[in-house]
Amino acid sequence: MNVSQLFGLTAAALVGLGVYGLIVNPQPLRKVLAFNLTGNGVFLACAVIAHRGAGAGMSGDPVPQALLITAIVVSFAASALAVGLMLRRFAETGTNSLAAADDAAPGEARTNAEAR
Amino acid sequence: MTTLALTGQSTPGGLLLALAVLLPFAGMLAGLAPGGRHAQRVAWATIVLGIGIVLEIAARLLVSGDALRYALGGWAPPLGVVLRADGLSVCMMLVVAVVVGAVAIYANGDFGTPPGTREARAPLAFWLLLLAVWGALNLVFVSGDIFTLYVALELLTFAGVPLVSLDGRAETLQAALRYLLYALIGSMLYLLGVFLLYGAYGTLDIALLAGRIGPGPLAWTAVALMTAGMLAKTALFPLHLWLPPAHAGAPAAASALLSALVVKGSWFVVVRLWVDVFGGMVGGSVAQLLAGLGAMAILFGNVVALRQVRLKLLIAYSTVAQIGYLFLLFPLAAQHESTRAVTGGLLQAISHASAKAAMFLAAGLIYSTLGHDRLADLRGAARALPMTLTAFALAGATLIGLPPSGGFLAKWLLMSAALATGQWWWALVMLLGGLLTSVYVFMVVVRAMEPAAPGWSPKKQVPRYQQFAVLGLATCSFLLGLAVLLPVDVAQIGRTVIPQAGMP
Amino acid sequence: MNLTQSLLAAAVGMPLLMLLLCASAKIRRRLPSWFAIAPLPALAAAVGASQSETLMLGHSRFALRFAIDTPGALLLGTAALLWLFAGIYAARFIREREGEGEGVAGFVVCWFMAMTGSVGVFLAADLIGFYLMLAVLSVGASGLVLQGEVPDARYAGGFYLGIALLAEAFVLAALVLLAQATPGGSLLIRDAAAALPGSPWRDATLLLLLVGLGMKAGLVPLHFWMPYAYRAAPVPAAAVMSGAVVKASVIALVRFLPFTLNDAWPHFGIPLAALGMFGAFYGVAIGITQSQPKVVLAYSSVSQMGFLMAVIGMGLAAGDPATVVAAAYYAAHHLLVKGTLFLAVGVVALTGAGSLRRVLAPTAVIALGLGGLPLTGGALAKYAAKDLLGGDLAGSLAVASSVATTLLMLHFVRCLGATAAADSRARAPAPLTVAWLAMVLASLIGPWVLYLHIPVGTLPEALAPAALWSALWPVLAGAALAMGWDRWRKKVPSVPVGDVGVILRELQRAAAAAGRGAQCTDAFVRGWSVSCLTLLLAALLFGGLLAVAA
Repeated sequence: MNVSQLFGLTAAALVGLGVYGLIVNPQPLRKVLAFNLTGNGVFLACAVIAHRGAGAGMSGDPVPQALLITAIVVSFAASALAVGLMLRRFAETGTNSLAAADDAAPGEARTNAEAR
Repeated sequence: MTTLALTGQSTPGGLLLALAVLLPFAGMLAGLAPGGRHAQRVAWATIVLGIGIVLEIAARLLVSGDALRYALGGWAPPLGVVLRADGLSVCMMLVVAVVVGAVAIYANGDFGTPPGTREARAPLAFWLLLLAVWGALNLVFVSGDIFTLYVALELLTFAGVPLVSLDGRAETLQAALRYLLYALIGSMLYLLGVFLLYGAYGTLDIALLAGRIGPGPLAWTAVALMTAGMLAKTALFPLHLWLPPAHAGAPAAASALLSALVVKGSWFVVVRLWVDVFGGMVGGSVAQLLAGLGAMAILFGNVVALRQVRLKLLIAYSTVAQIGYLFLLFPLAAQHESTRAVTGGLLQAISHASAKAAMFLAAGLIYSTLGHDRLADLRGAARALPMTLTAFALAGATLIGLPPSGGFLAKWLLMSAALATGQWWWALVMLLGGLLTSVYVFMVVVRAMEPAAPGWSPKKQVPRYQQFAVLGLATCSFLLGLAVLLPVDVAQIGRTVIPQAGMP
Repeated sequence: MNLTQSLLAAAVGMPLLMLLLCASAKIRRRLPSWFAIAPLPALAAAVGASQSETLMLGHSRFALRFAIDTPGALLLGTAALLWLFAGIYAARFIREREGEGEGVAGFVVCWFMAMTGSVGVFLAADLIGFYLMLAVLSVGASGLVLQGEVPDARYAGGFYLGIALLAEAFVLAALVLLAQATPGGSLLIRDAAAALPGSPWRDATLLLLLVGLGMKAGLVPLHFWMPYAYRAAPVPAAAVMSGAVVKASVIALVRFLPFTLNDAWPHFGIPLAALGMFGAFYGVAIGITQSQPKVVLAYSSVSQMGFLMAVIGMGLAAGDPATVVAAAYYAAHHLLVKGTLFLAVGVVALTGAGSLRRVLAPTAVIALGLGGLPLTGGALAKYAAKDLLGGDLAGSLAVASSVATTLLMLHFVRCLGATAAADSRARAPAPLTVAWLAMVLASLIGPWVLYLHIPVGTLPEALAPAALWSALWPVLAGAALAMGWDRWRKKVPSVPVGDVGVILRELQRAAAAAGRGAQCTDAFVRGWSVSCLTLLLAALLFGGLLAVAA
């Protein structure tokens, strides 16, 4: 298989892993990491498109690369906003779970360590 | 209706489109620098200027009878970015401007900076985020290509999430986090769809894409991803997990913005995509599925709203239900009868925006006056706030669909389209939704009209101008049905004709 | 703008203006004295407006249109009289309430809202204007029910509004179908009614119209809102509701249904007539077991409206164009009489035994008019309707219905007498008595005046001895039954007010259970994992459906 197909499959795998992590992990920080993983998979797919769309003599289509840069910045800002909210919430309540208030989260001690 | 115009030329006055987007963000930066109470003044000035710009855009649209275009930098698509405002965009921009103005008048009371500096965080954040939401929405409405739509949607999410947690309580932070994460999943799906479409058809411009797109696995995947992503951001049942706590936990002015305007942004993207880009591809069972989800939203949202204990949660679940109405237009627009369906959907969005904003603002005033918003103890509210209760009743009448409100006209148009295309079950859903809405509107109004316990006095005297703002907004939504008296069908200006599969 | 258009504009505009003026609290305090003045333009329009002119508000693409035709003029004129005299009653009624320190703002607002809707419904000439006025009428009337002072006023008001909105949902669906079927997109009622026989959705439209308008008219088995509403509402409100508000469905039926000679509709008309006749007897059967006068009157309304529906049904089955005026005339007479009887309830409650007979005697005469007492308007109305009912089964049922109505009315007079004031020297305040007396005169003289103007039979025919005897003997039979019933009454088990309406409590329980179920589903769906999985599932479904459909 050629380079595009390999990277395409990798992108799919990353997206799959990220989505799995998003659904399964109860702690928000891990969800943010999973979201970043998914994002990386999507960006990899975009890079494959850039590679495949390359004109004669060029290494890649510049338009998807521009989209990619924008998207990376946006996802970075999103992660920062999410982490900011989590830090503030931890400062307010000392916990960081998305479960309802009366749910005793079993991984709470671990979450506290991660949030620091 | 005009045919596609494939040149990169800007129409005269197209620069106004760019201004409509830039002005709020410029105001935001200008307000951030000095900070404090200057932010509010800058916001005021920006709002006045912005409303003027939107009115001017609308005037030009009506005069020219065609969509306004602006090519950034003079470069034509597929490489250049084009801003395009047709009748749909302009109507949405108008309602957003009106609601933002009314919320700003109201928020002067709640978010006016007090003499001390300690509470300046929430007012400063509110005024800046108000401008940010407005700018992002304008960008959504005038975007001419799908990647700018992505950027605009992200801007909208980033502006909307902090509005949820404006007062800093732990529950609102949790609601904001949940909103952010779920919205980001939606954006990711949408982005993947954008990349796939670019990879397949080589362009991001909406007009060009509409011409090039055709049925195929890539297009189908893109449709599925982009639609699902937008449904997550619009909180269509059953993807509405974030909406009730977010909209109910935010302060009243912020809830008004979120419920009335922010969810309309992602809905508009679905409309833009399905009606203008995908056109003939998304008929039949997909549209029925989308409207089916809308019907479930109407039924479940209204029923659960009836069981709520707090007024703000009731209004939030009412939003869940009303969002369902917005998606009923898709199976009706997929056939040749699309004019009525799209106009009806647009009118539904506009009247819901103004009515829901008025409702949330009214709930805020009731909360200030009574000190709580428990439904069981609303007595005395009507005596203390007659104008506000009238506004709530008028807004409720719009949501129920009583004439002459915009909600009635929207219902009439959508029902005509449904019955004309033989899909009578959507008409049934709309009627049922109206009945269920009437139950809780009646319940709230009647409970508020009961005389207060003897010796009770309001916790706080709300200023008259706040009540006037709420009543004005509710009256606007109630009288929107008179839009039928307009001499021209504004929603159809500049709409492109998509070649249907099989049409010559 | 010529005379007719100004009259039409003033008729609808005057109550609407008063409604808008309610916004200012200062003006609102003075408005009750205008209760009697507001319907005057409507009365003038009913008498003076010409039938060939239309008032148009709007432009060519869409306009609200108002016009008057014969049934509209009949009903509008009588309704205006009722609003006028009930307004005099209501003004005094409000002053007493204010004196007791209770809020009256709601009553004033809802009174004018109901008046605007009532006048507008009779004058509306296009589909959307009609629906608009109907909605205003329903909301205003339900607000009036809420103003009652009985403990279940809130329940009755909510229930009334719910039924009204449910009926209007059916009507809206029918109106949309009518608009679809009308060529050229015209929204005029006249055009829509003409296009109905040829419409592709003809049967569905007729069914929806009959169900919706029948619900609003109290057609059995959806009649149980009437006893609740009329019992809870204050006396003047109940008078206008049972008189004018209920006739909105009559005017709609008469205008929308096709009564043309080529199109007879036996498969719609006969069931409607059967249901109506059943209601006519059912109302009497339940009414004679009740003891509160307002509830008895409510069941009388059920019975009379049922009879009216039977008349319309038989006319529909035969395709007889004379139904329109005959039904409107019958409805107009019922309007006047029912309003008078309700006002009498209020007057009697304040009258002591000393002057009781002076009030009960005219009331008894008017009440017997409903049963068809000769030389009253009721006899004229039944004479006008008898041709439509035909000779055989329907005709004999009609005669039996007269007997039954007389029985019910005598029962009513007896119950009424029992509610007189305790102090035997008490007398009702002058405005109340004046209003009631004026209505008595209107009910006695009005139908005769109207009969001269409508093209249904001639006066000498109506006064022939044969006609008089055929009206008299059912009344005598009914009176005999009434005397017997007086003795038997104690042995009959009591029927709750609203009879079959008690299943509502069961429905409420079922609805609450459904609500709990929906809330559980909502909580489940809003879990994070479930939500994300649903999102992915949605994306898969969309893609799959697109692939499969191609």
